Amino acid sequence: MRFFRLAVFCGAILLGLGGADSALAQKKRTPQNRRQTKSRVKRSVKKPPPPAETAALIPVTRLDFAGLQTLLKRDPEAKRPLLINFWATWCPPCVEEFPELVKIDREFRPRGLDFVTISLDDLAEIKRDVPKFLAAMKAEMPAFLLKTADEDAAIQLVAPDWRGGLPFTVLLDSAGKIAYSRMGVVKPDILRLEIEKVLSPAADAPSVK
Amino acid sequence: MKMQRKLVGISFVLLFALAFVLMPDTGTAHNSDTVAIGAKVENFTLADTEGKQRSFNDLKGKNGALIVFMSAQCPVVKGYAERINALAKDYQAKGISVIGMNSNATESLDYVKSNMSERSYSFPMLIDKSNIIADKFGATVTPEVYLFDKDGKLVYRGAIDNDRSGENITARPLQDAVDATLGGKAVAKAETKAFGCSIKRAAK
Repeated sequence: MRFFRLAVFCGAILLGLGGADSALAQKKRTPQNRRQTKSRVKRSVKKPPPPAETAALIPVTRLDFAGLQTLLKRDPEAKRPLLINFWATWCPPCVEEFPELVKIDREFRPRGLDFVTISLDDLAEIKRDVPKFLAAMKAEMPAFLLKTADEDAAIQLVAPDWRGGLPFTVLLDSAGKIAYSRMGVVKPDILRLEIEKVLSPAADAPSVK
Repeated sequence: MKMQRKLVGISFVLLFALAFVLMPDTGTAHNSDTVAIGAKVENFTLADTEGKQRSFNDLKGKNGALIVFMSAQCPVVKGYAERINALAKDYQAKGISVIGMNSNATESLDYVKSNMSERSYSFPMLIDKSNIIADKFGATVTPEVYLFDKDGKLVYRGAIDNDRSGENITARPLQDAVDATLGGKAVAKAETKAFGCSIKRAAK
């Protein structure tokens, strides 16, 4: 739940920035974006900004099975594709590819991509190695640590073809369907292309279906 | 003369026909399906860490075999090392032989060998550097186990237990599968998944 609020908060900031642009461009106010404006205000009020010094250090939220289910289901209002990277500090290829993922986040978040990372480290690392690593990487995507007694069900829920090897990167389209997945170090060019594919239809047809 | 030419012609035609019939076979020979639950594993031979050729059929115990996909580098495998040693001792005594399998293209023979003695693995470790067996089994993660019954049929595939750290184990699907197989019963949960290291495959 805490993550959800955080995500909403980050989204609200982005929407806010986007809102300033659209005000300048004097876009028509459709009922749809009026609704967005309203919820933006409501959400911003609900969530005060964190103190500046903690803003750089992304808090890592504990995720259980139910939390993972919620995350995968997506907020129906979000209408944004979601990229998830499963990783761990003990996994060298995960650590190796992380800087590239941070770059991809910076490139695509302003263009409508949500990106979260889910660590499989021991729970003890939730306040130690995981945030430390994320801070060193200057990672800004919402960060989770998955802790469940039923990893079998969790892996199955994420992707039926996946057997649990890390790293694992999965791209869900705005409807929550798997558009692309890869086990092992990502090939950045291919991942960028796949992200473009799920972003472009949304840009061409912004209407809600 | 005419007859001779005719014969040559016929044999050419036959030769082409034969080649045509054989061609698709060689093309698909490497595309065999991955090992499925209930299916008998085809015998295979690989070198162990001492360079000795070992065949699955020779290694298999009278009550079956357990293949453990491992890695010298993977910290999850490291966390399981003691548990693997304990179960190897236990299962070996029950006629199920334990076979280590290293399919990581990135791990040298020397590394695998030194790691093996460091962790006191007492079972053979097969070297599958070009991941032929990993491909055949559809294995992508370490540690992952494949349990075969006395007839060489796959009866369980997946995790050893449900806790990497070993501190809060609440399910032991491998142990359950071994008990069922030894008792001549069907394995209730024949497949599980767990987080681990991805097998580093050779560039092909």
